Amino acid sequence: MADAEVSLSPALRTLHLSSSHSAQPPPPASSSSPTTFSCPSSPSSASSSSSSSSSSSCSESSSDCPAHHHHHHHHHHHHHHHHPRPQLQLPPPSTSEQPSSPSASPRSSSPSGSIGSTGSLGSSSASEGIGSSGMSSGGDPRGPSPPLDVISEDAMEMDLGVDQVIDPEVALKACQEVLLKVKLLDNKQQQDDKQQQQQYADVTERCGPQWTINPDTSSIKEEDEDEEEGQKDGSSSRPDPAPPNSRPESSSPSSSKQSWLLRLFESKLFDVSMAISYLYKSKEPGVQAYIGNRLFSFPDSEVDFYLPQLLNMYVHMDTEVGDAIRPYLIHRCGGSITFSLLSAWLLGAYSSDMHISTQRHSRGTKLRKLILSDELKPPAAPSDAQRSVSVSESPVSSPSHRHGHRRHNSNSVEASCTASHSPERPMHGEAEVFVSPSRRTHQRSKSDATTVSSGPGAGLRRTGSNPKVEAVHEEPERLRPQREFVKSLLCIGKRLATLPTKEQKTQRLISELSLLNHKLPARVWLPTAEHQHHVCRVPHTQAVVLNSKDKAPYIIYVEVLECDSFETSPVPIRIPETRIHSARSAENLDCGAVANANSSGSMTSEHRAGSFSTVPNYDNDDEAWATDDIGQLQVEAEAQTSSSDNISQFSVDSITSLESKEPVFIAAGDIRRRLSENLAHTPTTFRRDPEDPSAVALKEPWEEKVRRIREGSPYGHLPNWRLLSVIVKCGDDLRQELLAYQVLRQLQSIWQQERVPLWIKPYKILVMSSDSGMIEPVLNAVSLHQVRKQSQLSLLDYFLQEHGSFTTEAFLTAQRNFVQSCAGYSLICYLLQVKDRHNGNILLDSEGHIIHIDFGFILSSSPRNLGFETSAFKLTSEFVDVMGGLDGDMFIYYKMLMLQGLIAARKHMEKVLQIVEIMQQGSHLPCFHGSSTIRGLKERFHMSLTEEQLQLLVEQLVDGSMRSITTKLYDSFQYVTNGIM
Amino acid sequence: MSQVEKKAGLLRRTSSSKKPLKEKVVLMYDEIFAKEDPAKNNPRFWDELFLMKVNLEYLESKLESVDGEEVQRIQDNINSLFHHCVQALGEEHQIKVVNALQTLCALFRGVHQKNKSASGFDIINMLMGFDKAEQRMKDLMERLDGLLCGDSSESLKSLCLKLLLCLECLLCYNISQNTILEYVMINSIFEAILQILSDVSSRGQHGYDAVVLLALLVNYRKYESVNPYIVKLSIVDDEPTLDVSMLSQYKDKEEENQGGFFSTLTSMVGSMFIADVDEKLSVQTNEAILLALYEAVHLNRNFITVLAQSHPEIDIPVTPTTPTPTTPTTPLGTTPPSLDMMNNPELPLDPNLQTSNLLITFLKYASIVMQDTKDEHRLNSARLCLIILTCIAEDQYADAFLHDDNMNFRVNLHRMPMRHRKKAVDKNIPSRPLVCAVLDLMVEFIVTHMMKDFPMDLYLRCVQIIHKLLCYQKKCRIRLHYTWRELWSALINLLKFLLSNETTLLAKHNIFHLALLVVNLFNMFITYGDTFLPTSNSYDELYYEIVRMHQVFDNLYCMVLRVSTNTGQWKEAASKVTHALVNVRAIINHFNPKIESYAAVNHISQLSEEQVLEVVRSNYDTLTLKLQDGLDQFERYSEQPKEAAFFKELVRSISLNVRKNVSLNTLSQDVLLKEFSTIS
Repeated sequence: MADAEVSLSPALRTLHLSSSHSAQPPPPASSSSPTTFSCPSSPSSASSSSSSSSSSSCSESSSDCPAHHHHHHHHHHHHHHHHPRPQLQLPPPSTSEQPSSPSASPRSSSPSGSIGSTGSLGSSSASEGIGSSGMSSGGDPRGPSPPLDVISEDAMEMDLGVDQVIDPEVALKACQEVLLKVKLLDNKQQQDDKQQQQQYADVTERCGPQWTINPDTSSIKEEDEDEEEGQKDGSSSRPDPAPPNSRPESSSPSSSKQSWLLRLFESKLFDVSMAISYLYKSKEPGVQAYIGNRLFSFPDSEVDFYLPQLLNMYVHMDTEVGDAIRPYLIHRCGGSITFSLLSAWLLGAYSSDMHISTQRHSRGTKLRKLILSDELKPPAAPSDAQRSVSVSESPVSSPSHRHGHRRHNSNSVEASCTASHSPERPMHGEAEVFVSPSRRTHQRSKSDATTVSSGPGAGLRRTGSNPKVEAVHEEPERLRPQREFVKSLLCIGKRLATLPTKEQKTQRLISELSLLNHKLPARVWLPTAEHQHHVCRVPHTQAVVLNSKDKAPYIIYVEVLECDSFETSPVPIRIPETRIHSARSAENLDCGAVANANSSGSMTSEHRAGSFSTVPNYDNDDEAWATDDIGQLQVEAEAQTSSSDNISQFSVDSITSLESKEPVFIAAGDIRRRLSENLAHTPTTFRRDPEDPSAVALKEPWEEKVRRIREGSPYGHLPNWRLLSVIVKCGDDLRQELLAYQVLRQLQSIWQQERVPLWIKPYKILVMSSDSGMIEPVLNAVSLHQVRKQSQLSLLDYFLQEHGSFTTEAFLTAQRNFVQSCAGYSLICYLLQVKDRHNGNILLDSEGHIIHIDFGFILSSSPRNLGFETSAFKLTSEFVDVMGGLDGDMFIYYKMLMLQGLIAARKHMEKVLQIVEIMQQGSHLPCFHGSSTIRGLKERFHMSLTEEQLQLLVEQLVDGSMRSITTKLYDSFQYVTNGIM
Repeated sequence: MSQVEKKAGLLRRTSSSKKPLKEKVVLMYDEIFAKEDPAKNNPRFWDELFLMKVNLEYLESKLESVDGEEVQRIQDNINSLFHHCVQALGEEHQIKVVNALQTLCALFRGVHQKNKSASGFDIINMLMGFDKAEQRMKDLMERLDGLLCGDSSESLKSLCLKLLLCLECLLCYNISQNTILEYVMINSIFEAILQILSDVSSRGQHGYDAVVLLALLVNYRKYESVNPYIVKLSIVDDEPTLDVSMLSQYKDKEEENQGGFFSTLTSMVGSMFIADVDEKLSVQTNEAILLALYEAVHLNRNFITVLAQSHPEIDIPVTPTTPTPTTPTTPLGTTPPSLDMMNNPELPLDPNLQTSNLLITFLKYASIVMQDTKDEHRLNSARLCLIILTCIAEDQYADAFLHDDNMNFRVNLHRMPMRHRKKAVDKNIPSRPLVCAVLDLMVEFIVTHMMKDFPMDLYLRCVQIIHKLLCYQKKCRIRLHYTWRELWSALINLLKFLLSNETTLLAKHNIFHLALLVVNLFNMFITYGDTFLPTSNSYDELYYEIVRMHQVFDNLYCMVLRVSTNTGQWKEAASKVTHALVNVRAIINHFNPKIESYAAVNHISQLSEEQVLEVVRSNYDTLTLKLQDGLDQFERYSEQPKEAAFFKELVRSISLNVRKNVSLNTLSQDVLLKEFSTIS
């Protein structure tokens, strides 16, 4: 079990790192300490600590107590270490300082740092894991808590089993065992390792990521002067994977394979994709643990892409893998509400295929529960505020966040149980999760943090925010508002499904949403959006129900106000719907109105009452208002008028220059002509069809919609106002959609990277459960079905109508877009075996791109298992017509693009395959039906063919698709069954 | 002290034994109407008085019977009674409060009965004394305010409102001469009323009274002075309050009226005399609500948006309604919107329920009201409805809502059954933007009111509303998919009617003004059709319609030409119409020969519509039109001075009606007293 031993050392480092994490180093340290450290060193222990440990029922000897302290120090030490500060090497602090130090340490530099240094030594040698848990508690004399609940929660995390409560004694023993082993193995290297670790820690700290160590430390680690350089580099800050590479070989005997791996892992080429891949493929716990740690070093956004994979592995794969991922997950959950919710939703969705009450099942659901219980939240409000305030002051802040993570060994079951604690606490600082002792420290640190930060932090909070909103939404739980928001959206969908007609559904939807509006703004956001924001209003009248037979998906538009961070920025103040008027002309009218009215009633009352000319004295004011309105309208109207429109200008003129009595003549023919021109100029509007309410709404150009809604919104005047939209789906499983999205994204980036101008539009998918979720709508696009039904034109004629005649720039651009997107989606459809390709599932955007939607039938699944759609992809003669016919240059271009795209995709096949493969784990999704899904997918990349052969293949595919009557057949089949042309 | 008490008790016992028929409270009233200070012998007199059950009849009749001289003598006692009533309002004992309220009601009414002719000042003197009046009224209003806003029982609040209504309506015939109201103006209870309206439970129970009260208060001397209620109403912007204040009430009214309407129908078929007092009563109470709605729409800019954008309501299935306006009703759509939403995001789920909103309800109601304008009250209601619609059509936000393409509703307007047309099949009405319903309503009105007793005023309003909507569409380039043809033909028929009844109508009305407005509507279409017509065909159809009905325009032209060449009072008005007709005549003169020659060339006696359209299409280019000034200008609505008389009269009739109801209702408060006696 060399691996296990090896892994211990990393744990140490992780611990240290964890300490650096944000404001609360101490608790983590203590928690982690049990597994990894034994610390004989500093005798300074708070009496309370011992008591606490005992209370925690970890049955610790008093001697342990010092160790705890030690840990704390250690932590601090490391923590500080990370900061590129001189304090690192400070002398040990006095004992008296210790208790306070943990909490204060992250912030206040020197004392803690000094302590840490001493501690570090001890820690390296240490091997009494058990003690550690107690120690942590010991560190903090305050906030004794009932050990029992804590423990039970603990147990939960450990995934140990059905029973939530763990016998502390058992745990103790387990830990001791592990520590013993570690001692044996590590003793020799202690010193070296120690230093290394510290140095690494420093390096990592600076780099931001803590890809710190690997489990195989003993074997892999190398010492080098490079390290120092690394440190320097590291100070430059960002997560540059380079420093890790610089890590030298360790003196210890390591398996060559591992060292090779390590080199790879630390090379620049090692990216998230590879990390995920190795995580999935490697059965070596050491590697897994290393990668688990390494995750911290990647930018959040890159890892986020693989969140479904991570979570699916967590739910469905071995404990080891789960343990390796868990700290990262927990850490991120603590730091981000969004991440928490996304994870919780996905966990729920991916667990749904399992049999009830299997252990693995409980693993996923337990984590989900934990997340939703909101116990992972960061140290309370102050920390956030603090962070923002203190960033400039200390380097600790943001980078440290990430550090927190160390995943150690976790090879042995025993180790894993203790280990599991350690990660959490540093990150979240939420004490309740852990054993009682730790909790105390936690609380303490929390309280400290609060006091420290209360000044600026509190100020920040209070000033901007609307007390009401804050009171309602923020205090109870940080996740709640968003969850409620999503829940109410989903509930609406469910209820809509019971209504018989589209019209009723739409009307109902509108009224439901208007109710929702009364709760906004709130600390809620749309997870599909790019930027941080708060939702402030749902323009309910704009919502429409989409075409679907029995489900009721619907699209809503959402007004948001962008902000720095939706978690900490104050929620915008509600502006009543009715204030549109006043918001425009007199901002301050509202606030002053009531007060003034009482006192004098003069200014405001005149203003408003006057507008209706009730009060004789104020007639002038009345005029002002009235003209104001009209003027505004006319300005708007004029703005809209195109230059060709003389008449309306005439009319304006005629109003203004009444003196000139010269008759103006106009030709009736002109009026008529303008009418038809105007109508022709706006071919973009579709006729309203009660059976297809979405057609009109979707046809409206996005910019226009934004402008229109902005005008009507009481928030529209705010500079950070944005309009977003989202499709809410109830009763549909979006997991396959999500999978397709990932594949599309992957292929898109591959093609970008290889500079192949294929065009596809992956749209974001949010899985909220196995039967609900949200979809990011494709803007400015309507389905081919709607195009045909509304325009009654062939696709080519529609292109001509929308973009101009064959030779125009606009048409040519649109045609090129069409070809590039067709090529992209043809490949997608072929590779993923996307079925159900009727015209309702293919959109056409305003630039001429086609966009495939609805990936309900991909890979191994096909609709109703009928033999339809045998062609590789959908290529109708209409498509070919738009491309300029079979002999046209554009059609050749189309085939060439496909070839290039296929070659590029083939080059990076692994990246695509991996996404699908991991998701197959434990999944009952129809797309994974059968055993040959992955093999089939792999085969479609045709790795063995030469490029010439590939070209032939593309020709065949195109040919086959065109000749295939099945597409056509399928369309008519769809028309008969679903009324889709 | 105790001795005195005993003594008093003894005394009374003896006296009661002497006159065994008199209640104790009556005796006490008698004491008040004696010269002596009743508290002189019995310091606890007032305390005890308010513990007695009130005998309103006796008190009132007593007040009435007092003659001029006596008044002088007992004025102190009456003042004292009033004072103590006000004091008692602050008592903890609810029974006392109730009695005091009732007594006050009786006082006001009694004094009023007595003093019908005299105006307010005497009354004030008699009740409060000039010198103290201000303080007394201030106290009274404060107490009432406290009661209304506090957590006192619902029946108590209801009594307070009744008292206020008494104040308003009883004292004077004309509300603007009610000087006591000056004090109500000074001591505003606006906030209290609003609070009642914004609270769910109280709204259900007192909403009606509160709304009527508000409507009346707002109308107090609105033309002479600055009325604080107007000012305040105009600046309220609390959504739920505004929203709800009218809504629930309205809903009831509408349902109620439907019942009334249907019963009217059946009664017309059956016997002619079933419609009776009850019917009228409900119509009149509706007047009050309509007035309140009008004031809200007219005074409060915010309310217009609420009216339009208020969250759509779920229609309740028609419930059997009782004509009493005070029946507590379940507040509809009054779920307090802001608080419990996330927790309970559910609306009642029933696929048969249609969504609706206040505006729709109003439109439906208007369609009912406008059907029968013979009765004066109904005429008033119809006028008020049109005025409200005028205000709405002028407001650009309301317009935006009306024209919102995404807000489609199916509005079932009530259509008058007429011989020459089939009954419209309601279910087939497509759901469209609300403005279509408004236009339908206008068309419906135009078509159905061409009668001898011509409602000229309503017609003018109607045509102006259409004009305002067209102006909005033109400005904002909204191409409404509406069957304009119906409107055109309705307007042409209207012209036809004016022509054929020229002599009779001219005796009473300036028909040229109406004709001018109608012709200018056509001019809007002709000149600016390119900016708001939905299809190119619709422009052709316009020409087709004009050419088809050219005789009407020809006749009209002849008529106005004749009148304008003669000297007479209509000369100028008629000549305006002559000028307005220039383009219509140009069209007719241009296309008629073309069509005739087309028919001649092709040897067709009767051209089909398609053929005519073809001719029209191919001959636009040779037609020149004259651009007319100010087609898209309109006079904005202003209540003063034009409408002032109407509103004065309306308020008067409402207050009369309320007075009737109040007296009815206060008399039946025994139940309530019982309720309290058991409580305390």
